[in-house]
Amino acid sequence: MATGPLRFRTPHIEELPISQSRQSAGFAWVAVSTAQDDPAKNWGTTNRKRARASLGGQTEQQKEALSARVQRETERKIKELNSDNSRDVVIDIAKKPGQSTGGALKAGKTTGTKKILASGKTFAHYLDDEEAEIARTGRRDGDADAPAAAQRASKTPLARRKPRADSSASHSPAPLVAPMAPPPIPRLPTTDSSAAPIPLDGLDDDDDEEEDDEDRVPRMPTSVEMDALLNAPPLTYNQARSAPPPAGMPPPRRFCETCGYWGRVRCLKCGAMTCSVLCKDEHDQSRCLKMYA
Amino acid sequence: MARQKSLSTTAISPNDLASRTLILDNGAHTIKAGFSSHLSSTPISTTACHVIPNCIARSTRDRRTYIGPELTTCADFGDLAYRRPVEKGYVVNWEGEKAIWERGFLANAANAANNDESGLGCDPAETNLILTEAPNAPISLQRNADEMVFEEFNFGAYYRTIAPALNAYAPSPFPSTTASPAGIPLECMLLIDAGHSHTTITPLYHGRPLHPAIRRLEIGGKTLTNRLKDLISRTFDVHREDHLVEEIKEDVCYVSPSFTRDLERTWKGGRYDGREVDSSVVVDYVLPDYEHIKRGFYRPHDTDVMNLRNRALGIGTETGRREHVVTLGNERFTVPELLFTPSDIGMRQAGLCGTVLQSLDALPEGLRQAYLANVVVVGGTSLLPGFVERLESELRAAVDEATVIRVARAESPVKNVWMGGARLAADEAALRAVMITRQEWAENGEGWVRRRFVGKKGR
Repeated sequence: MATGPLRFRTPHIEELPISQSRQSAGFAWVAVSTAQDDPAKNWGTTNRKRARASLGGQTEQQKEALSARVQRETERKIKELNSDNSRDVVIDIAKKPGQSTGGALKAGKTTGTKKILASGKTFAHYLDDEEAEIARTGRRDGDADAPAAAQRASKTPLARRKPRADSSASHSPAPLVAPMAPPPIPRLPTTDSSAAPIPLDGLDDDDDEEEDDEDRVPRMPTSVEMDALLNAPPLTYNQARSAPPPAGMPPPRRFCETCGYWGRVRCLKCGAMTCSVLCKDEHDQSRCLKMYA
Repeated sequence: MARQKSLSTTAISPNDLASRTLILDNGAHTIKAGFSSHLSSTPISTTACHVIPNCIARSTRDRRTYIGPELTTCADFGDLAYRRPVEKGYVVNWEGEKAIWERGFLANAANAANNDESGLGCDPAETNLILTEAPNAPISLQRNADEMVFEEFNFGAYYRTIAPALNAYAPSPFPSTTASPAGIPLECMLLIDAGHSHTTITPLYHGRPLHPAIRRLEIGGKTLTNRLKDLISRTFDVHREDHLVEEIKEDVCYVSPSFTRDLERTWKGGRYDGREVDSSVVVDYVLPDYEHIKRGFYRPHDTDVMNLRNRALGIGTETGRREHVVTLGNERFTVPELLFTPSDIGMRQAGLCGTVLQSLDALPEGLRQAYLANVVVVGGTSLLPGFVERLESELRAAVDEATVIRVARAESPVKNVWMGGARLAADEAALRAVMITRQEWAENGEGWVRRRFVGKKGR
């Protein structure tokens, strides 16, 4: 099986800091030489919690280190939420008694189907196979094989090859979309809209009024552009995934673990959020210790 | 409807289409199956569509395995373990899928009795097949499906398409659009398929999907059910009760138009400011025990603790038996909120509205208005009350004021894809344009067939 460069499932690739000591929740190592080197505020870093708060918070690296572990945890939880089979169940399809040609029929009629029926691959296997093939040949079979064929058989080991510019293994839809987007909308006179295949009556009226304005109604794509869109090859599974929300959005909301209201106070030991003292008490009794048990 | 015998005595020539078409909307949760014929002129109704659970379930209480349609005969849904051959929207486990198909609608000597009741028996060699799958399937899965249909099941002719594309042939849910005859697709449609495994957004143009703009949000009915399981298990462990939690989700969950306001209403308060919980939102769900209570039901929350205790002991209940009650408050709307804010569980994807905007960004700007005015919502998860209104209000807030936004849910969200397929099959010209016969597959190979299904004309 070909080995392509490692591809993570997450949309972002986070850089884990290498030189970071192992952390446990509740405190953070604070480097002495941070941005504010004010000796008056630096009470001698024995009191780490105060130092962390007073020295302007954790550094970027420390925040990322903490969040990498948390992120792994959430990824695992999400995968569990999206798992198809509730637990590892092995259900055999019992052979019905009285089936005419029981064994042969069950196994499949041709060699191809026998293989398909007997294969125990899961979806993750198929996805990985496809990603590996794309990384190896530049495009999955059937669609644009021309660029792969034209390239000289490369002697660079796979690990050192730079990702091809038109490789479709990129994770965000944006790079692949760029060649598909129509050329920048030229300022055309309204008579040209007759080339458009989509008549929308409402827009024609607007065109007459706003022809000279800066924010004119966008032009309908021509039939050539529509053909290009329609005949574009389908995206791969990873490309079609929804991208993360833009960075300007508010941070993810946290909820109380016990009752589900907004989370307002964080447990020092395990980092879970609860909403009120009552919920926090309940959390301490039943859920918190389980982390340590 | 008994098995239809072939009208001619000779076998159908390999290049010709059979008279009947089986439309299979192969979903992750259920299969919608039914026949349609381009020779008959009876109008197609959704009663011809049968919904078959697409799963293999093992009950530890009965020690029986229920495959596909046999699940309706199960009396005790407690502790039912599911295994689904369809993973993430694509058929991965053909062994299981074959077993379900055989029991569902393929003529099989051992199952003749079952089939004749439901009217779905058919002989594959004399039937055309329209099969649907989720968009963006890995190539090897597409190849496997083609091979299985032709080699194993021996269907005469076959068309495999992505499920959203068939919706363009179904009648339009917008009241102002003129009805089009069967076989003519609607012109522009932005389809949101809120399904079991995920939610897909597909812009369609004359029934053909615009591939660069298809986006997928990985939150579906399955995610919501599992999340609800986690939340209910805080008080009562339901991790092993898939079927029950699905029923609870369908009964009780709704999409709140204003999340913060509803969350305030269901808070019991802190230590020093106890609040009155709003009884119109919080409900008590009575769990079924499959002996007297076959199906759970809910009623408004009874704040009197004594009442709860009595009912748990069996005093004062209708049947005289003990009632197990689970109180559901903010879980009702927190769970469907995941569709609109996946970051609540830490998923790094934009919510439904954001994904729609991403899909529109991949289209030329002139088409945005056309697609925003024709948003159709299908899929089982869209049956949640308040889903369409919430989506419309979020889109309205995110888009320029001058654009017209029309969002509508199809009349029958679960069967709409099937309806589209049935109408496509009822029109002979449209059917001939897309079908691939076995002979063509054998001659031209699977790569050519795959490209044809995607829509490329010519070699």
